[in-house]
Amino acid sequence: MDFLSQNALFVVLLIVLVVWLGVFLYLSRIDRRLKVLEDAYKKGSQ
Amino acid sequence: MALRALLGLWLGVVIVLGFGLPMVATPVQWYQLPVIPGLEDKARIIFFHVPTAWLAVVGFAMSLIFGVRYLRSRKIDDDIKSSASAGIGFMFCILATVTGAIWAKFSWGTYWNWDPRQTSIFVLLLIYGAYFALRSAVEGEERRATLAAVYSIIAGVTMPFFMFIMPRILSSLHPEPILNTQGKLHMNTIMFAVFLASLIGFTGVYWWMWRLQVRTEQLHHRIGP
Repeated sequence: MDFLSQNALFVVLLIVLVVWLGVFLYLSRIDRRLKVLEDAYKKGSQ
Repeated sequence: MALRALLGLWLGVVIVLGFGLPMVATPVQWYQLPVIPGLEDKARIIFFHVPTAWLAVVGFAMSLIFGVRYLRSRKIDDDIKSSASAGIGFMFCILATVTGAIWAKFSWGTYWNWDPRQTSIFVLLLIYGAYFALRSAVEGEERRATLAAVYSIIAGVTMPFFMFIMPRILSSLHPEPILNTQGKLHMNTIMFAVFLASLIGFTGVYWWMWRLQVRTEQLHHRIGP
């Protein structure tokens, strides 16, 4: 915490990482949903 | 594919410029960013935190537009577009809250102090949290879509009040008044250009995520398990 207080640039870096982590998690959620749909489609076409 | 590659490249350049451009007290070169008193290097957050709040506004506004369109057309596609947009807006609203709280810790000394800006975004999170609670509580596709559309309109109408009006009429520690006093932006050309480029890039990310979510939900509607 002291390190971040003295190095403001790393606070900004932390913020950028949080933003991309959020985007990544949301895309993973869509990916999981697509996987379920793909499996259902495969079952339906068999 | 080319557009997605361009978007990646665009945001890569924004990140490099956002971090790499030197910040000096009196910029003389075109590539120098001005020092914002009291913020210093932390002012660079504007390139990454403000776009998340912007996308919350875009997401909620799009949710309202497609909510209205659903009520007029009664096409489930419009409901899908409205709810997908609200979902992405909600996610970016959470990100704006979290990144703002991290910044607050190092500028104000605490993650949360119920500043008008923090309070208003918290209320907005509650309002849209209730939107998803409503969606999951209502049985029947048509009924759910109608109620959600009406709610998205009501919530969308309150959004500008919480995002733009309330934090401005109450005294706040948020640095927005430093950067934007009486409607005048206190950024030099390069800072404003990077900021604008970031807003455009992030809007591209929103569009991509929104299309992905809409296509997935449309597929779910057609072949749903």
